[in-house]
Amino acid sequence: MTPPSLAGTVADDVVVALVGRPNVGKTSLLMHLTGSAQRPVNFPGTSVERVESCVRVGDRRLRVVDLPGIVSLHAQSRDERVTIDYLRGEGTAPPDVLCAVVDAGKLGVELRLLQQLARLGRPVVVALTKLDVAIRSGAPVDTERLQRALGVPLVVTNGFTGDGMDALRAAVVGAVGQARTDAADGAAARDPAAVASAVRLPGRASRTATDRIDAVLLHKLFGPLALALVMLLMFQLVFTAARPFVAAVEWVQGVCGDAIAAVVADGALRSCLVDGIVNGLGSVFVFVPQIALLIGLVTVLESSGYMARAVFLLDRLLRKVGLTGRSFVPLTSSFACAIPGILSSRIIADERDRIATIVVAPLMSCSARLPVYVVLLAAFFDPITAGLLLFLLYMIGPVTGAFVALLLRRTALRGGRSPLAMEMPVYQRPSLRVVWLQVRAAVRQFLVTAGTVILLATVVVWALGYYPRSPAIARRYAAATAAVPAGPDADAARARLHAQEQAEYLEQSWLASLGKAIQPVFAPAGFDWRHTVGVLAAFPARELVVPTLATLHSLGDLEADAGAADPGLTTALRHATDARGRPTMNGLVALSMMAFFALCSQCASTLAAIRRETHSWKWPAFTFGYMTALAWLVAVAIYQVGDWLGYGLPR
Amino acid sequence: MQLPADRTLAHLGRRQRARVRDVVGDDDLARRLVDQGLWPGVEVELLTAAPGGDPLLFVLHGFRLALRRDEAARVRVDAEPAS
Repeated sequence: MTPPSLAGTVADDVVVALVGRPNVGKTSLLMHLTGSAQRPVNFPGTSVERVESCVRVGDRRLRVVDLPGIVSLHAQSRDERVTIDYLRGEGTAPPDVLCAVVDAGKLGVELRLLQQLARLGRPVVVALTKLDVAIRSGAPVDTERLQRALGVPLVVTNGFTGDGMDALRAAVVGAVGQARTDAADGAAARDPAAVASAVRLPGRASRTATDRIDAVLLHKLFGPLALALVMLLMFQLVFTAARPFVAAVEWVQGVCGDAIAAVVADGALRSCLVDGIVNGLGSVFVFVPQIALLIGLVTVLESSGYMARAVFLLDRLLRKVGLTGRSFVPLTSSFACAIPGILSSRIIADERDRIATIVVAPLMSCSARLPVYVVLLAAFFDPITAGLLLFLLYMIGPVTGAFVALLLRRTALRGGRSPLAMEMPVYQRPSLRVVWLQVRAAVRQFLVTAGTVILLATVVVWALGYYPRSPAIARRYAAATAAVPAGPDADAARARLHAQEQAEYLEQSWLASLGKAIQPVFAPAGFDWRHTVGVLAAFPARELVVPTLATLHSLGDLEADAGAADPGLTTALRHATDARGRPTMNGLVALSMMAFFALCSQCASTLAAIRRETHSWKWPAFTFGYMTALAWLVAVAIYQVGDWLGYGLPR
Repeated sequence: MQLPADRTLAHLGRRQRARVRDVVGDDDLARRLVDQGLWPGVEVELLTAAPGGDPLLFVLHGFRLALRRDEAARVRVDAEPAS
């Protein structure tokens, strides 16, 4: 192996890899060490990601690489193999310095990995973490003696306060190019368990805070109760606390739309800007509050140590449906929004478990489905039935998800159950700085990847719904508007004519032609062509269905309630009729539509997130396919059974 | 009490301690268990079990390790003399 190019002659960059067991606090250390944004970088020739951040130390630039946690240099998962190949310098330049992150509380097992790292022959610097925890739990460590025994630079750090970072940066830069010393060889040769016990200072092993907390949180009865409470609180918080922010995003969207409307003349450009781009951007940004909150909460739970307890409590249950305890976080998160849920699936080590989790996550009823449920339930059911149906709609996700996951793990993702063999970290207070940096990184990633896809999709649907523009319609409505008699009702009448004109354009647009063409597909589910168009328009983002239905139903309303200025979508849906005056909507159709929305994959952002997290188009395509097929089957089944029972539409 | 020769971590009762004799098998799981600190001579204590009795939570080397029951059954132990 050739020695690394020494800094100063070739480049001023020092590449340092953070290596350590899972949960030692590498990520906190990275955040404190560099304080700058993380940049996901792919390992050369693979899709495995590592996180890199830079910081200046004097005239040097320190490039800190955060690697996935490893327990030994024997790779088992794909991520571990890539990590270890990188450390060995196979197929790529190895890091200049290895920064071994070592938890002071469990030196016995830590030193074994350190021993293996020392044998790689790179300069090693040890960052000792969680010394405070070790002292509190009655196992303090004689750090000077440990350093002497190891023969490599050792820095005591604190991942919560950020103490020791200057010393660590200096030690790393100082270690560049250092040849292996005899002392390091000594450390590599020594028995790690003996070293660990030799440096342990006498301390009183006592019942720690973690023991006391676990006595409650892992209790046979209180443990599951506490978990249910935590889940409920998390869900509620994401759902309610994000609401004012969501309203703010929508308000900004409205203001921007109005501002553009004031400057740009009515026409294709204005419509494209307002209905296409501003709406598209809005439907991207509207996810940001939820993503930020959820990733923040998940990070807090994760770094406090509670997530491992949740995994422990749920492993048995989730294993029955072919998932793992670790699937719990992504799946719960997905009830608020599937995108942060999918992003949080990275905590699942096994690739098959992870993909199965990602693929079923969008089945959980996210908050964007709620408006559809609310409109349809309010229109066709009394409040008590509506509440019950809402509960059932929320249950569709987990029940279907269990079947899909089980099926996948028995077929395409068969075999290789990931072992649990998981460390349960000591409880600790999460560092707000680390939480903030994680949230910022997740939001940025979402805006860049999902943002571009959803914007594109929204503009395409806008164009399909806008074109072609018939000059005949324009002439007719221009004449009608001009003919409105002056008076107190003139403005309302003109607005009504405008809405009618928009609906007529939409009805002869490409989107509507498409809707009518595939109407036969949805006819068995009881859908009218307008519902089909609504469903089509909702494919980039299911938020689009309510406004689309509103536009499409504005025609019929004017005939039914000529007196009312704005009858509202609820009334409009109830009184909607087809060309021959027969009703097109009733409770059964509403039910079949809601089931369709509950199961269907109608969110370009989610598919983009799946693509990002699985590094292939295969899984987003599969998710889209199976969810849409399932949604159609269930909607048809509901309508056909209901119709057979006599609840169908009159023929 | 005389213990059976093939006693494993899965047989421990709550708060019971034992010393690791070896890990059965030569596959990835066996290697992972050793990497997690379960090498011969290490003292292990069962802390508790999840509701339903699986997985199990152990203490070794001063840290807590969660193992599924079938994973724990791969680790053969000798009884720890009462201390």
